[in-house]
Amino acid sequence: MFETIPGIAISAAVLLLLVAFFRLRGDAPAESVSDGGYVPARAGLTTHGKPTGLTRWLTTVDHKDIGLLYILFGTGAALWGATDAMMIRTELIVPETAIWGLETYNAVFTTHGFTMLFFFVTPVFTGIANYVLPMLLGADDLAFPRVNAIAFWLLPPSLLLVRGGLITEVAGKVLAVLPVPVGALLALEPVGVGWTMYTPLSTATANQQIDVALLGLHLSGIATTMAALNFIVTIFTERADDIGWNKLDIFSWNILVMSGLVIFAFPLLGSALVLLLLDRNFGTTFFAVEGGGPILWQHLFWFFGHPEVYILVLPAFGLTSFMLPKLVGRRLFGFRFIVYSTIAIGVLSFGVWAHHMFTTGMDPRMRASFMAISLAIAIPSAIKEFNWIATMWNGRLRLTAPLLCILGIMSTFVIGGITGVFLAAVPVDFVLHDTHYVVGHFHLIVVGVIPLSMVAASYYWFPIITGRMFNRRLAKAQALLLAVGTVFTFVPLLILGYLGMPRRYGVYPAEFTTLNQAASLGAFVLALSVVLWLVNMVQSARVGPVVEDADVWNLKETGQFTREWQWFEEQLEDRQAELSRGTDGSATSD
Amino acid sequence: MRSVRRASVVTALLALFALATGPSVVAASSVTEQLISRLNRQLLYMAVPIAVLVEVILLYTVWRFHDNDEPSPTRENRQLEITWTIATALVLLFVGTASFHVLAHPMVTSTPETAHGDYQPGEAPDDAVEVQVTTEQWAYTFDYPDANVTTSEELVIPANRTVYLYVTSEDVIHSVHVPELGLKQDAFPDQYQLIRTQTTGTGEYRMYCAELCGTGHAEMLSTVRVVEQQEYEAWLEQGGSNATANGTASGDTAPSGSNSTDGTPTGDSNATNATATAEPTAGGDA
Repeated sequence: MFETIPGIAISAAVLLLLVAFFRLRGDAPAESVSDGGYVPARAGLTTHGKPTGLTRWLTTVDHKDIGLLYILFGTGAALWGATDAMMIRTELIVPETAIWGLETYNAVFTTHGFTMLFFFVTPVFTGIANYVLPMLLGADDLAFPRVNAIAFWLLPPSLLLVRGGLITEVAGKVLAVLPVPVGALLALEPVGVGWTMYTPLSTATANQQIDVALLGLHLSGIATTMAALNFIVTIFTERADDIGWNKLDIFSWNILVMSGLVIFAFPLLGSALVLLLLDRNFGTTFFAVEGGGPILWQHLFWFFGHPEVYILVLPAFGLTSFMLPKLVGRRLFGFRFIVYSTIAIGVLSFGVWAHHMFTTGMDPRMRASFMAISLAIAIPSAIKEFNWIATMWNGRLRLTAPLLCILGIMSTFVIGGITGVFLAAVPVDFVLHDTHYVVGHFHLIVVGVIPLSMVAASYYWFPIITGRMFNRRLAKAQALLLAVGTVFTFVPLLILGYLGMPRRYGVYPAEFTTLNQAASLGAFVLALSVVLWLVNMVQSARVGPVVEDADVWNLKETGQFTREWQWFEEQLEDRQAELSRGTDGSATSD
Repeated sequence: MRSVRRASVVTALLALFALATGPSVVAASSVTEQLISRLNRQLLYMAVPIAVLVEVILLYTVWRFHDNDEPSPTRENRQLEITWTIATALVLLFVGTASFHVLAHPMVTSTPETAHGDYQPGEAPDDAVEVQVTTEQWAYTFDYPDANVTTSEELVIPANRTVYLYVTSEDVIHSVHVPELGLKQDAFPDQYQLIRTQTTGTGEYRMYCAELCGTGHAEMLSTVRVVEQQEYEAWLEQGGSNATANGTASGDTAPSGSNSTDGTPTGDSNATNATATAEPTAGGDA
């Protein structure tokens, strides 16, 4: 029971926060007027002709509203997944079982993976793209607004299905005080077979929650695919007349390639999940020893799984390439090469999946060819890094919070990327595979690049979304903590991997204690940084200083005042006009 | 300036990382481990300077151009793009070539000589030590078909001799992982995978299971003891001596593991198995 409390507490707190958030920024101009005499500051949220209150959010097909819903949902999932992460790092402070049993530990890292990969990263990026992509393209909305809404609303039920074990357990324990049969609820336990769901472990484990989670993952895959198709059609058909392919912004390029990967990778995951479901429930033998064999699952899973890695990270690269030039007052260096490298990553990402399987005893010739492609994919990644540095060269670097985030990305990406090359070298992978080195390597990217890019975007576009400014000092401190925390958490894991500590170990030999404690300490720094970000976002959206001048980042002087800011400027002008036409009393306080 | 400090922290950590991983040259381990760690060192010699160089350039750029009042417009530089693309490709070509040479070594890449997954006891060359490693939730069984010895206590192998470990599983996927000897091989049910190595001195090393295999995964540890040839022979003669319950070899050479000699661990894991699978049902009844 104890282990279920943090997740529930966090999600309850998040829900409360969200409710409070919407109450405070709800459609009640009177409140805002009393709060300093402004008309509603939320220039980004035009409410003309829309239903108000909760109905608006439940029925909206506006890309900006859905974008916000995505971002809020993804943030909620991130906090839940981060709770899992903190549970992991807390347990690993001491070598022996301290707080949670091994079974719970296995469940926690499994659901951590599911939640972060499927319900945090992609939804948040989809939300950001939802919000800004149509504006960047000069479109009114995405190509299929209703599909967009459906794609979003599939996500909450799929999250509940995937994480059902926890919810049903708590519900069962609450209901158990009443004279109701709750056995069915308690039978569902959180999934503990790892996010990779390797057969035969995943077929042999009795827990019915695995079936429920498979359905949930399938549903989330459908949602992701729908959103990706929507982006592709939008980018192809909804561009303004003056935006040819040569003028398409770099963020849209990345979203386009990412969406392409999604429509090739996710349907395969969906099919593989159905096969696994059939194996578990209907006696088929797709992955059974006497049938297709356990290795078949690994091939199918990683054929999805490796492109998935780039599905996660390409939007982060896109945001970095998009924001960096604006923050350093120069155009993106090597725009064309960055686009090529993005496409190259997209293509190559389908040819590297077996590097997750070097130790399965596969044919040596296959090992060599997968090694070659895995090494080759490092080239386009390196090109990006070099072009980013060249973009900064001769630029005007103002160390604002979003730029600090991007510098954090660039510095952790060097370590995260180079450590990946070691894993591509097959003989080195033999010793490092399935150790903490792998965990350290990919977390340097999935923490040191992906959330940092989201945080940078949250600061960069905060004025557009809320009409207010965030607290800059707090934001700088937070960005630094996130970058430093990443290094302090995950570099010790690299060393642990070299020393041989396997991953997914809830207990470990005593000699690994110090490094584990260092990593846990880093994790607490990360947690602090997340809290600071949350406080800054919520408080600034409520009471932050109202933005008067749309050119928050001095984009005009370098001719990078892009369409979304132009739109924002129009909103501000409209607001000014409305203000001067409106009651004089409220206008004077300006 | 804070970012300067941060980047210098990064650099310091990288250096520390290099120190921590660089001098991992242990005299006595195995040919496999020596090959792999030499490759790893070669890669580190390239990776650490490159990483430090890029971080320093990044840092220098930030230091030099922060609050720079005269930004100059970006000009495309095709030569520069092509140069760093080719430079990266060359570095990776070296990584690939060096890795391939190590990969091609028979002590690193070892697939059974017979058809995929098949194995008959006595398959290893006559001068090599042959051990069959059977994994199951959550224990190991080591069979020495030449000596009719079966034990679950520890894997004992003689120093300086070629060892053939045929790895299989009774249930789910496990992975035999001996980091200090540079060995790792996944174990699949109904298949045999080969680990081939040669130790270069005596010592005791920890064996882990590296593939998630259920609740007991983290506790599925064992020991590899590398001893002198005489000690090894003596140990075999006693039928895997300090294996108390296992006693003498029964003469049962069936490769499928679950013979009478390993009764204790099998019974153990069955019991844990039963509780693990029974739990949901028990919950359902409640």
